[in-house]
Amino acid sequence: MNIITLIKQVPDTTDIKTDPKTGNLIREGIESIINPDDRHAIEVAVSLKEKYKGKSIVVSMGPPQAIDAISEAIGMGIDEGILLADRNFGGADTWATSFTLGKAIEKINAYDLILCGRQAIDGDTAQIGPQVAEFLGLPQLTYVMDIEEVDDRRIIVKRGLGNGYERVESPLPALITVIGELNKPRYPRVDLLINACKENARITLWNAADLKVSVQEIGLSGSLTRVIKTFSPKVKREGEMLKGDKGEAVGQLIERLAGNYLI
Amino acid sequence: MERSDIEKLLRKVMAKFVDQEVIPVAREHDESGDFPYDLFKKIADMGILGIRYPKKVGGSGGNTTLYCITVEELARGLLSLGATTAMQCLMATDGLYRYGTDEMHEKYLRPAMRGEKIGAFQLTEPEAGSDLSNVRTRAIKSDDGWIINGMKTWSTSGPIGHFHTVLTQTDPDKGLRGLMFVFIPTDTPGFSHSKKFDLLGTRTTQMSEIYFNNCHVPDEYMLGQLGRGLDVLLTILSEIRVMTAALALGLQRAAMDDSIKYCKERVQFGRPISSYQLIQAKIANMAVNLEAGTLMSYKVTHLIDKNIPCLNEASMAKYFTTESACKAADEATRIFGAYGYSMEYNVQRYYRDNRFLLYGGGTHEVLQTTIARQYLR
Repeated sequence: MNIITLIKQVPDTTDIKTDPKTGNLIREGIESIINPDDRHAIEVAVSLKEKYKGKSIVVSMGPPQAIDAISEAIGMGIDEGILLADRNFGGADTWATSFTLGKAIEKINAYDLILCGRQAIDGDTAQIGPQVAEFLGLPQLTYVMDIEEVDDRRIIVKRGLGNGYERVESPLPALITVIGELNKPRYPRVDLLINACKENARITLWNAADLKVSVQEIGLSGSLTRVIKTFSPKVKREGEMLKGDKGEAVGQLIERLAGNYLI
Repeated sequence: MERSDIEKLLRKVMAKFVDQEVIPVAREHDESGDFPYDLFKKIADMGILGIRYPKKVGGSGGNTTLYCITVEELARGLLSLGATTAMQCLMATDGLYRYGTDEMHEKYLRPAMRGEKIGAFQLTEPEAGSDLSNVRTRAIKSDDGWIINGMKTWSTSGPIGHFHTVLTQTDPDKGLRGLMFVFIPTDTPGFSHSKKFDLLGTRTTQMSEIYFNNCHVPDEYMLGQLGRGLDVLLTILSEIRVMTAALALGLQRAAMDDSIKYCKERVQFGRPISSYQLIQAKIANMAVNLEAGTLMSYKVTHLIDKNIPCLNEASMAKYFTTESACKAADEATRIFGAYGYSMEYNVQRYYRDNRFLLYGGGTHEVLQTTIARQYLR
């Protein structure tokens, strides 16, 4: 079974600070990490490879230093990595990113399963997985909390729905996005980590020319959205007095709760 | 394409492991005083126990620098865990790796790197600590091997070890030139140990006396050459000292991290105590010592990795970082005020644990003498 895992290097947002004037993330002194949900996807890939053999590849789009995320994934047991790094990829929204990742997957060509984390902790969109699946015309299984069965033709998973789950079967190849409940990601092994940092490590760099894409299709130029401003929304809690006698007030309260799907 | 820097990446991976797996349970392990088998197995699963050894014997193919980064990070979480891991990686297994047969590697070294067997290194005796010429554990040649009689004390992992690298005397008249290391599995008839010592600090470290009563081992269990025990020890002495320095760096960082967090939160006279200059002076001293100790220690690890002799530099790094760790732990308890005297906070553990570093890897009184000797001869 050949598995491609899409990963992203993100700032460790456990101690995030933003510039109050610009609204931008203060990146100085902030560690970069593999996006937490993506670690669960890597664990799936490595576990499946151990069970069914085949090849596992991670693909990441980012600046040159994103190679650390790929090296760490190789330390966890992934066979090889591809870093999509090109100045022209910069400023991409989820549309342009999905297009670029999709092109890389098309270039890899041989795959049975594509794995992604549910969403990245910096953008929080949860759009990349589904968009890549659409681009490639693959079935998509999102919010996967358990993989029950998998063979060379099909996969059966449980999709977490918040208040329950849905058991779904899909033919392969397919794309799945995973959530944290699925597994406990392993820590990298020292020997594999050392290999990943050597000159002959199985990590390849692909740029826009390698993907045969035009500058207009990628990065800021290929993006359909523009970020005008980033800011922390001010959340103001406001109380509201319900008028009328007890019966009327309770009736109004029930109406509001039901209207907001809280009961 | 530029590759990842293994030293930075390994430190990052280890920091995450320590933050997630070690620090949350460190207090519990310290209080119970039990050997942390679960953490030890997790460390083994990451390939850490074989970090110094080549892949051909089942190791991870690392070096002294990576080894020290690892034990430094572990010591930041729990000093005794760092020390136990450091022992397993180096003193407990190096003789076995260098001088053991393929069969011994299969039976003991590989399982030790997988965390399935625990090794120990037995030097100290009641009358022989820094003075190894006074070792009295005797090894007497028999037809097909050696007969060992004697005892060792302050035996790290003595009560739980599966095998021991033991310094013995083959000919008391020869003093240091009569020393020899032998490999003694715990299941050798005649091997026994005392009950576990009750320790002030590093409480998960299992220490005891161990006894050899006519323990017979075959010829191939002699580690190194007859009468060259001191040379065997000197092979790894720089590494032992810089490893101890790395443990001290980890402890210093823990003390400093806790101090910074606390002094920013603790408010007195209407402002955080971090705003007072005497507290700032303590933080500044900790930071300066940590920076200097880090530079000294990793200079040594890089020299070892290049096979450049550096025993004096290693002794200085051990001496400086350990004294700095003691100061940092002391200052941390002062920054915490009365809370530093409470078992509620971890700084009391750092204060207790750091004492171990003063004796392990050579007492500072002896180290100062050996350092001075380099300049006074």
